[in-house]
Amino acid sequence: MSNQNILEVRDLTKHFKAGSKQVVHAVDGVSFTLARGKTLGLVGESGCGKSSCARTIIRMYDVTSGQVILDGIDITHMNQRELKPLRKKMQMIFQDPYASLNARMTVRDIIAEPLLAHGIVKSKEEANELVYPILDRVGLTKEHANRYAHEFSGGQRQRVGIARALVLQPDLIICDEPISALDVSIQAQVINLLKDYQDEKGISYLFIAHDLSMVRYVSDEVGVMYLGQLVEVCESNEIYKNPLHPYTKGLLGSIPIANPRLARQKVKSSIEGDIPSPIHPPEGCRFHTRCPYARPECSMEKPQMKDVGGGHLVACHLYG
Amino acid sequence: MENKWEMLESSNEEREKIWKKNRTFAGDVWFRFRHKPTAIAGLVIILLLLVFALAGPMFTDYSYSKQNLEVVNIPPLMKVFCAPDEDGYLYITQSLKVVWVNRDGTLGTQLKKVREDSASSMTIFDCNGKEVGLYYGKKPYVLADPNTRVLYSTEKIWNKSYILGTDSLGRDILTRLMYGTRVSLMVAFVAVLVNMIIGIIFGGISGYAGGMVDTVMMRIVDIISTIPLTLYVILIMVIMGSGLKSIIVALGTVYWVDMARVVRGQVLSLKGQEFVLAARTIGSSTKSILMQHLIPNAMGSILVTVTMLIPSAIFMEAFLGFLGIGLQPPLASLGTMCNDATENLRSCPHQLFIPALVICLIMFAFNFVGDGLRDALDPKLKK
Repeated sequence: MSNQNILEVRDLTKHFKAGSKQVVHAVDGVSFTLARGKTLGLVGESGCGKSSCARTIIRMYDVTSGQVILDGIDITHMNQRELKPLRKKMQMIFQDPYASLNARMTVRDIIAEPLLAHGIVKSKEEANELVYPILDRVGLTKEHANRYAHEFSGGQRQRVGIARALVLQPDLIICDEPISALDVSIQAQVINLLKDYQDEKGISYLFIAHDLSMVRYVSDEVGVMYLGQLVEVCESNEIYKNPLHPYTKGLLGSIPIANPRLARQKVKSSIEGDIPSPIHPPEGCRFHTRCPYARPECSMEKPQMKDVGGGHLVACHLYG
Repeated sequence: MENKWEMLESSNEEREKIWKKNRTFAGDVWFRFRHKPTAIAGLVIILLLLVFALAGPMFTDYSYSKQNLEVVNIPPLMKVFCAPDEDGYLYITQSLKVVWVNRDGTLGTQLKKVREDSASSMTIFDCNGKEVGLYYGKKPYVLADPNTRVLYSTEKIWNKSYILGTDSLGRDILTRLMYGTRVSLMVAFVAVLVNMIIGIIFGGISGYAGGMVDTVMMRIVDIISTIPLTLYVILIMVIMGSGLKSIIVALGTVYWVDMARVVRGQVLSLKGQEFVLAARTIGSSTKSILMQHLIPNAMGSILVTVTMLIPSAIFMEAFLGFLGIGLQPPLASLGTMCNDATENLRSCPHQLFIPALVICLIMFAFNFVGDGLRDALDPKLKK
């Protein structure tokens, strides 16, 4: 079964109830497709709905509206029992390597858990045959299998988390800021591990981060999110060379440049103000409250996603 | 070496090696537990009490219910008078009888009363053919030769027949103590069992399900916890009759509410953590999430709660016994023994002191063990 797109997300919306009447618009009409063997980076500032988006896709949360299509199968309204066999195809790597591993389990048990849950192996002894190679693959050894997670360093833990996701040999891994809690020296180690594995197995990643330089390195395509909506999607080098949406420009402008001479030449285009509340998102274009180029129609009408050529999609009234 | 600054190679294996010693979880807990003297002391006391309560009755000659009205209210350390023929002692009981005591401290039989000499306030007893007078004109009562009026010399010796003395019905306090401790430990066991089973499952489900289910389940807990236990026990005894069974049923139906609350709180806070989310994305069943992830991680506070509830359950049973609505005579529990002792507290304070001391010992021991366990079970406190 080879479907061109491993993941299709159409108009995905996730609203949370906050109190009796208020609604948090965490994800609002997000659409994208992820091709097999490719990586889609999802960037945006804190609270823009990246993680909610990921967790809704993996059906940790129920979908408010829209569609999630995994490898040609619509999983939007499946219940947990129907979903279980499909979970093998889709795994997740978490942000905090300290919180995402159970402190009461050995590394062997942590990695064997998905195998046992899906009945791939019957016993823990049987699981060892699959656990050891995957430990080896992430650069750990057999001796580590009997250790508890709290004995490891952050980088080692994150590799245990990766091993847990890889052991089922999924087609898609959702990486929810897998490197943001790690030291810079360890980040490269983890990223290279993920990339090598992709080259080997043709796996796809939905890579969520707020570190733009790292996203550029891993992604084939980049989607920029603002307040629950995608504002720009395009090929990853293109977005750095030719950012169109004012928000993307602002994000890229906020990357510090190491070379002071280049830094002086840089045009300052940082974004002023704070992100508005997702309980009462602004009318029209959600970015208009902070946009330096805002025009009257921006606060009236919601801009549609438009292709401005070469698969570069942008939702802004300035274009088209 | 020529170049002191030569780079050393490090292999991948060395870089990834964990230099700490590898221990199993249980081994780890035991390691930390045994480095805490109070915890070990508590554990030793509990084990000794267990041996005392379970194996002890096999080694005594008395039963908890057999009364011997000849030897009532005898203390462990007796003040005795030397018998006239010098091959034994005489002890005056509180009911003004005289008991023969052998030289080794074991008790013999009561002496026969010969006659009453009210003119000189004496009762004359027959001691192996010789007459012995008990002078009751003034306290303390003494034994004297009725003819010469010379007091017999006194001595203090330990009671070897009844090491801890006898109670007001002539029953051996040591034997009753064994049975009483047995009842207390049984109550502790029931409290643990009920907490572990009902409390954890109820609290776990309530916390994990959340929402409406949680609200309803917690209101049930609130209702149960507002019923006063004493009232509840009395009501149960009306239906089931008094005895250990009613107390166990009463404790069993009520004592898990605190545990349910603790487990619910723990589960509520744990279920949002990433490792639980990870288990859900993996596709683990609800049962295995509860049993493998949530409850083991809540185990620290569960054990602390259990070890805090055990002493309170034991105390509750003793308290009910003391009030007289617990075990019924002749059965012995620490509480009923205390209650029996209050009747002659002034003359025989040891009858109250001994069971009270055992209650204290049990409570201390469980508290210490709980404290030690809490520290030992937290892997983050590892040394």
